[in-house]
Amino acid sequence: MPHTVLVVSNIDLIKNTSAMKPSTFLNTSVSDHILNLNNDYRYMKMGYYVSLHAEVLENPVIPRSENAIDAYRHPILLIKASKHGIPTLPHIVTDSAKQIIKEIGFPAVVFAVNPFSNGGFKIARSRSALYRALRSFGLNHKFTVCAQPLIGEIVSVKTIFGKCNRHGSIGEVAKKFYEIFRLPICKLHIQQFEEKAYLSGIEKLDIEEITQTELRLISEEVFRISKIGEKYWLE
Amino acid sequence: MARIACFVEKYNFLDSTETEALQNFRHAAERMGHSFNFLFKSNISEIAKYDAVFIRATTDPLYTSYVVSKTAWELGLRVVDDPKSIQICANKIHLYSLFEKFNIPRIPTMFLTKEEFHHKQISEIFDTFGKPVVLKAPYTSFSRYVERVACETSFREVARRFFRKSDVLVVQKFMPTSFDWRVGVLNGEVLYVCKYTMRKGKWKHGAKLRGKSKFIWGRTFSIKREHASARFKETALKACSIIGKGLYGVDIKEINGEYIVVEVNDNPSIYAGYEDLRDKDLYEKIITYLVN
Repeated sequence: MPHTVLVVSNIDLIKNTSAMKPSTFLNTSVSDHILNLNNDYRYMKMGYYVSLHAEVLENPVIPRSENAIDAYRHPILLIKASKHGIPTLPHIVTDSAKQIIKEIGFPAVVFAVNPFSNGGFKIARSRSALYRALRSFGLNHKFTVCAQPLIGEIVSVKTIFGKCNRHGSIGEVAKKFYEIFRLPICKLHIQQFEEKAYLSGIEKLDIEEITQTELRLISEEVFRISKIGEKYWLE
Repeated sequence: MARIACFVEKYNFLDSTETEALQNFRHAAERMGHSFNFLFKSNISEIAKYDAVFIRATTDPLYTSYVVSKTAWELGLRVVDDPKSIQICANKIHLYSLFEKFNIPRIPTMFLTKEEFHHKQISEIFDTFGKPVVLKAPYTSFSRYVERVACETSFREVARRFFRKSDVLVVQKFMPTSFDWRVGVLNGEVLYVCKYTMRKGKWKHGAKLRGKSKFIWGRTFSIKREHASARFKETALKACSIIGKGLYGVDIKEINGEYIVVEVNDNPSIYAGYEDLRDKDLYEKIITYLVN
């Protein structure tokens, strides 16, 4: 008997696609292909636990819990992305401003690697700005940060099933990111320099940030995946 | 000759017995012809220079140690603790879900989501498990973020605190014992066995004295691994087998002759004169595992 697709979502879809609430799903033991739609897949958040529960039940799930963890651990995001052919810039993980100045220079973009920050980044164009970024993201030098050179401008794009409102190299990065990490909903930070785009970071998308147009896009995509069924998990 | 990096943080050198254990690892590696260097967070970009990574800093997917583990794993190095073991052991929701799936003898456990956090559910929990119950944050380690609650008010206060970081919590039946067994396991073999006792009037191995912020610990007694019963060792090995082949510390309660697994920890504590007291070969065994 062919498997169906079970949509587990904390987002109210607008097309007539039925979806199960995450907390209801955690109390079930269904056998299905699970499409986990959530605005927040960070570790220990509901989006993470839905994927985890699906895996414990041995259900194929999008996204996998490991990808949810890795995408939000900034250095791992960059290592994995680069390994799979997504353009990235060099990075270092350190708690030392001196090392960043020596190996990256200015301007630098700094991402948090501590367990408490919700994402985001800081741009350091001077020594004092770098020390401030390290103090803030390193929680007074208790944790490391991840630093990269800033060679162009950082563009933040909302990404839905790998689609975003930008074409060209930025659109390509968003598409490739979804192919590798399979996080249906998130915000990507991408560095653009001349015609090239480099994946830089990721952040959760607040529900309030999802527009009606994007909601329609999510719903249409869910409807399409439901029709394709289990074959979508093989794509 | 293999190059081993041992990832540590400053706090790993605060206790002299832990420092001594770390030196014992270094001496064992050097005796066996390998190099053994301490790697701190300021130089983790040097991971690629090594053949194996041994993590002694506390592990959690949100800590730098996970970045170290995953980076080493992606580079194809042998790493203890491996990222999968960290992912499972550092999150008790994950761990207990697997215990249930593979029928590991365990403490009766329920999960609580934020949406289920209301009077009716709390009453049902007390009806099922009796009073008190134990509330655990999924990220608990070293006896922290595990609290005993006996009424709805304290249940709500503790749960609200734990819900700040995790959307799901663990609730367990309270099953007090005067000690927990700790079994060190590596690659499906028992490395060492000891007892972690609770201090008088306390129900956890590590606890705070009333009004004090400092943690105090119960005592540790070791026994030779061959003196532990086969059934006991089988229980520990079965619990580890559902996680992986790394280095684990299994906590087991002995109640009415039955062995009940409390949890499996990756990155188990190894302090000189305690865990290694009866089976001193544990250092060589871990180094051998890292380089093979």
